[in-house]
Amino acid sequence: MTRKPATCLEIEPALVAAATGEADTTTAARVEAHTRTCASCRGEFASYRAIDRAVDTWRGAPAPVEPSARERLEVRLADLRRRALLYRIFPSPLGPILIARSEEGVTCVEYLVAGRDFAHSRLARVPGVEPIEDGAEVEGLYGELLEFVEGRRSRLAWPLDLRLARSDFHRAVLTATARIPYGAVRSYAGIAREVGRPSATRAVAQALRWNPLPIVVPCHRVIGLSGALTGYAGDKLTLKQRLLSVEGVPAVKIGHDFRVPRDAMYVRSPDGSAYCLPSCSWIVAEPPQELTLFGSPARAEAAGLEPCSDCHPDLHPISR
Amino acid sequence: MDSEGFDALVATHHPEIYRYLLRTTFRASEAEDLAQETFLRAYRAHRTLPSDANSRAWLFAIATNVARNHFRSESRRRHAHAAVHAEGSLAVADGPEGQTLFNETRVRLETVVAGLPLKQRLAFTLRKVHELDYDAVARSLDCSVDSARAHVFQALRKIRRSLNGYGLPLGSDDR
Repeated sequence: MTRKPATCLEIEPALVAAATGEADTTTAARVEAHTRTCASCRGEFASYRAIDRAVDTWRGAPAPVEPSARERLEVRLADLRRRALLYRIFPSPLGPILIARSEEGVTCVEYLVAGRDFAHSRLARVPGVEPIEDGAEVEGLYGELLEFVEGRRSRLAWPLDLRLARSDFHRAVLTATARIPYGAVRSYAGIAREVGRPSATRAVAQALRWNPLPIVVPCHRVIGLSGALTGYAGDKLTLKQRLLSVEGVPAVKIGHDFRVPRDAMYVRSPDGSAYCLPSCSWIVAEPPQELTLFGSPARAEAAGLEPCSDCHPDLHPISR
Repeated sequence: MDSEGFDALVATHHPEIYRYLLRTTFRASEAEDLAQETFLRAYRAHRTLPSDANSRAWLFAIATNVARNHFRSESRRRHAHAAVHAEGSLAVADGPEGQTLFNETRVRLETVVAGLPLKQRLAFTLRKVHELDYDAVARSLDCSVDSARAHVFQALRKIRRSLNGYGLPLGSDDR
């Protein structure tokens, strides 16, 4: 075995570059000058040229994708798209909040314990979905949510995706709750009647306890028949009171709970066209669980109601 | 990039990414699986891709990562090597008579490439077969441009040494 001369070793990278079409003109000229006088490097150059040509045919060799392979890819991508939930965790006056959306609509709003990351969220444990962290997609939702909890926005007109609801019953409860207007409250019993299960008051409370979209589906607007706030997102009653207060619904603290003064609230008339004083003859005959209550005439009018022409709540406002 | 943009990305690049992975694994079923994995990963990340990014280079980088994960198990590598020996070549049909020697060279080329260290093999395939620039090769392999060049150079050197005497003009490297 002989050792390669130093000049040949030194020029080898340039020679490879020149033979495979990657050298600039100066390098190519240098290689050419060397190979004119060095037979062994000339041979190497020819070898690399041959390899380069073989690579060309390899590149040109057909290797078509089977149509069925493309179909299988499309099926898997479609499945991923259905399962994908784009989420991000944001700071908010109510503590860290996780917001997630699918291609269909907003899917999850979750209050997180400060300092806990996604792995500790409820969403991380939901089977059958694929959470993907992607702030840009939910940034707009966050901005509106922030305005909402600060009282600068009264409507969150986002398409809802209720896939995280635990059952059809839960979904029906959430849908009924989503219809409660801004600044109004209803009772658990009223929602139970609306979804056709009048005796299922406790089950309604459970469904709202597992509400995957608090704030957006305003479960804070559902209270007890007594006016007690009863519960919210586990142990966050103060948060419920705060959200109601932003919407102009009064609630006074009584012990560990808060109470909405039901007899000092404006009431939607049974035909849904007007708002009345609680003493109005249209109202006193109504079962209490049917009532939708408003904190102020302004909120009732914003929900499209006229002042009742019998009790004139606009002329005789409730004094609290 | 939006959803429609992603659909277009799949339509444009799936065939080439599949071919790259076929040239890397030498098995159609593995290439299909890895191409699927590449595009599923790409879907998860595509919204963060800047609109002026080179999406082809980006997909090659993902595919390269997927392939490297795949080959992390040494047994799979041997399996791929065995596949190219057993199946001979990915070529579909022999060319005309005069091409035979040339085709043999190519078959041997594939065999030699299959036996290269993984990084050299990927660098060679990215640069020489799919003609990505060295920046893209470096990004795919998560190394410097100089390292990417060195991998390709070493790959070509080994290929030449292995092919000497097999239809290649003889070089001087029998020393």
